[in-house]
Amino acid sequence: MSKFLVIGERIHVISPEIKEALATRNAAPIIERAKTQLEAGADYIDVNIGPAERDGVDIMKWIVPELQAATDNAPLVLDTVNQNAIRAGLEVYNPVNGRAIVNSADAGDRLSNIDLAAEFGCIVIGLLMKKGVPRDNEERDEYLQTMLEHAMEAGMDPAEDVFFDPLTLVIKGMQEKQQEFLDFIRTMSEMGLKSTCGLSNASNGMPKHVRPIVDNVLCAMSIGAGLTSAILNPLDKELMNTIKTSEIILNHTLYADSYLDI
Amino acid sequence: MALKGLDIFKLTPRTNCKDCGTPTCMAFAMKVAQGTAKIEQCPHMSADALATLGEATAPPMKSLKFGAGDAELSIGGETVLFRHDKTFVSKNPFGVSLSAENADEALAEASKIDYERIGERMIVDVINVEYTGDKDAFLGAVKKAAEFGRAIILEVSDADAAKAALDLVKDKKPILNGANPSNYKEFSEIATAAGALLGVTGTNLDEITDTVKAIEELGNKELVIDVGSASVKDAFANAVQIRRAALKDNERSLGYPTIVNVKKLAGGCSRKETGLASLFTLKYGSIVLLSGISYAQALPLYGLRQNIYTDPQKPMTVEEGIYPINGADASGPNILTVDFALTYFIISGEIERSGVPANLLIPDAGGYSVLTAWAAGKLSASSIARFIKEQDVEGKITNRDLTIPGKVAVLKGELEESLPGWNIIVGPNEAVSLVKFLKERYS
Amino acid sequence: MAFTKNPQTFTGKVAEVVIGTGDSAVTIGGENVFPLYSFDAEFKNPPIVGIDISDKGPDRNIPGIATFFEGAESLAEIAKRASEAEGASFVSFSLDSADPNGDNEPIEDSVVKAKEVADAVTKPLVIQGTGNGEKDGQLLGKIAEALEGKNVLLMSALEDNYKGIAVGAVLAYGQKIAAESAVDINLAKQLNVMISQQGVKPQSLVQNVGTAAAGYGFEYVASATERIRGAALSQNDDMLQAPIITPLAKDAWGVKEAIVSEEDFPEWGPAEERGISMEISTAVACLAAGSNVVILKHPESVKTVAALIGELV
Repeated sequence: MSKFLVIGERIHVISPEIKEALATRNAAPIIERAKTQLEAGADYIDVNIGPAERDGVDIMKWIVPELQAATDNAPLVLDTVNQNAIRAGLEVYNPVNGRAIVNSADAGDRLSNIDLAAEFGCIVIGLLMKKGVPRDNEERDEYLQTMLEHAMEAGMDPAEDVFFDPLTLVIKGMQEKQQEFLDFIRTMSEMGLKSTCGLSNASNGMPKHVRPIVDNVLCAMSIGAGLTSAILNPLDKELMNTIKTSEIILNHTLYADSYLDI
Repeated sequence: MALKGLDIFKLTPRTNCKDCGTPTCMAFAMKVAQGTAKIEQCPHMSADALATLGEATAPPMKSLKFGAGDAELSIGGETVLFRHDKTFVSKNPFGVSLSAENADEALAEASKIDYERIGERMIVDVINVEYTGDKDAFLGAVKKAAEFGRAIILEVSDADAAKAALDLVKDKKPILNGANPSNYKEFSEIATAAGALLGVTGTNLDEITDTVKAIEELGNKELVIDVGSASVKDAFANAVQIRRAALKDNERSLGYPTIVNVKKLAGGCSRKETGLASLFTLKYGSIVLLSGISYAQALPLYGLRQNIYTDPQKPMTVEEGIYPINGADASGPNILTVDFALTYFIISGEIERSGVPANLLIPDAGGYSVLTAWAAGKLSASSIARFIKEQDVEGKITNRDLTIPGKVAVLKGELEESLPGWNIIVGPNEAVSLVKFLKERYS
Repeated sequence: MAFTKNPQTFTGKVAEVVIGTGDSAVTIGGENVFPLYSFDAEFKNPPIVGIDISDKGPDRNIPGIATFFEGAESLAEIAKRASEAEGASFVSFSLDSADPNGDNEPIEDSVVKAKEVADAVTKPLVIQGTGNGEKDGQLLGKIAEALEGKNVLLMSALEDNYKGIAVGAVLAYGQKIAAESAVDINLAKQLNVMISQQGVKPQSLVQNVGTAAAGYGFEYVASATERIRGAALSQNDDMLQAPIITPLAKDAWGVKEAIVSEEDFPEWGPAEERGISMEISTAVACLAAGSNVVILKHPESVKTVAALIGELV
């Protein structure tokens, strides 16, 4: 019953500001986003540098030490499809405040990222997908088993070293798939496995005023089902309050009247 | 500890052959964990895997009994390390350890401890007889201990003396505490033949673990573990690690109750024994032996044990009734409070301190504190009136002063209506003010 | 085969707090293992024992206490004698006369007494207030001022007076404080949160989470203490990581078993031994549940419990 892990999503190449900073090797705005997320309660900072096919290695070698130096070695999630870039990042990573997380492996082409994580003794996010997103829980089950076995063969402890991502599906259009998603989180929880996901995907395409409500409720329901971490925006105070409250209700943290302030 | 799906999955062949009727080994493992499928449905499980599973689903700590008849005691069977997780199961018996040299005095002293506290009789539960090299003297002491009528432990590692002692007292179902790495084979046979539990020890945890496993191989699982007496530090480390290995780390071979002999750890200091006995009451001594138990020691120790072994969901209660304090007779004034044991103790203590002879009236109030009981309807004018009638308070006590807790002053009016002829007095809000209140009114 | 060691150490650890000054200063807390589990990892600072004296003088009705303090008349002499008790790492001074429901001694008088005691001892000093929130709020602030530089620990900050004490004692005069809750884990955490929000750092905050004598609802004490310590270690909850201090002399010596006379209960034997026994049993049980510091009153209990800690950790 360890604490719910919040992974801050705000360093992402999709943001024009971050894209520009990465391109010009200007660390300041990236560091700024890391700091504000940590202050807001993030446990890990996701660093998405995009595909970075050409200069991924250089970017990781540069940004990982920059970020860690500026944040008292905050734990990081290294997020790119470029495996060499992740390796380069891991080589310069300081695990003093938490092992690095490789984002991500899957049951298909990126299975070898599990081996990479095993080599460095760090954590890996395992997406329950192969080519496309899983059709149903039978497919999730199959992918889960593939990755579990691979992780065990690589000498990892699958209960500690892999965060499985059941992949959120957009509610608008795939409403009927949501129950299965929650069921699978529960299955993994009962298996004794850790899990994560990008929660906000589910509310994609919804009106702006609706999205926060959907995000909050899905977050609470997922934690209730046993989700152990999520990639989200920690600056969203409501969402952070939802997480804190869920943890109180599940007795993961001890209640105090001021629990929302800490 | 129940197995998680992942633990079971690790033991499956992981071939997804579907022979079990489930599409994947993973799904099958989940079903087994949930109890909706049986492991036998998989025809390909290895013998090792099945053994591991069988072991993992057995209770983590043996529940055993020793002593016969009225003296029978249950030990072990614990499932949690902290009492807030679930109730601790078997109260640790307190025992006195004696030898032929002091058997008579020690038994005479032990017989003095006999009192009741919240419905529980407090006595020296166990007599441990130490063998000191003289077989006849030992057997003499064993006989005396047997006549004493409590559960017995025979602390002896001489096979001859052990056999002779068991011949005398095997119908008392004692513990034979004497197996060690060099004699365990013979001792296991002796204990099994006599139907006695076998106490096992070694100079350290490695030796203890190995010896227990060796005895298990012989088919004997009626064991208790003596945590040893090398030092206070070692004994504590062993007691904690044995219990933790059994409950948390699934080490079945350490899933046995323990014996802690604090007499040997305290070097003749009875105060130190009190401290150690308290420590091992909280932290995992299944049987605690002292050199002797005086009232000064028994009062805190038995109270502490009673506290630690209460159900965390269910408060301790005292029995409904009239409790005369300071020698009160029928003419003494009446003070009423609830049956929550803690409240009872505090109020009775304050009345005692006031020196005023008074009758403490305890109605059944569901084991709640005063305000909670009132809010839950368990302490009301009608429940108090029922109590007065059923317990025949008016027949037994002539005094008609009835002091009720200040926190339920609201009951005064209703009580005056339902109890005509009574003088209902509102007492103080806090127990600490009771002494002053009683003195001013009654002395 | 042998035994497979599986030590439980945690990333969360108890905060370290220093009280007193110079060579006799003591550090409490700092461990990252369960109470007294020195076999799992080094137990950073073993628990300590303090001896309590009242501003009304020692309880000379108890023969052993009378003998121990024989010849010590002034508060300074009494305090000095107490500080020499075998096993005592610090002296606790209880301002019983200041209780508004009792003698209600003026604050200035209490301050003078506290100063006399502080000047007489070199060992660290713990000041116990009256337990009355309003009075302590004023009293402890004044004492903090008078004892500036002594690095004393002030008991106790309650829900209704913590602000004044936190600001007045810790922030203004650099003393240490203990947050007091009565066997209520949620309140314990809340008080720590609120005191921290006043600007009090972890190295200045201790917590008294409540106690009871053995046999008198001690199950609540054991569970509250164990849960607080458990959350501090396994959940790394930094709002519960303050070291735990348990003044238990009043509880242990206040129950029937310690009070009633031998004449009334001849089979029970001398009252003094019963009190000592109750005090030792309660203290060891508190330590086993997670207390870092216990405060006792009888020199013999102090000696026994301190020796036991020495052998355990």
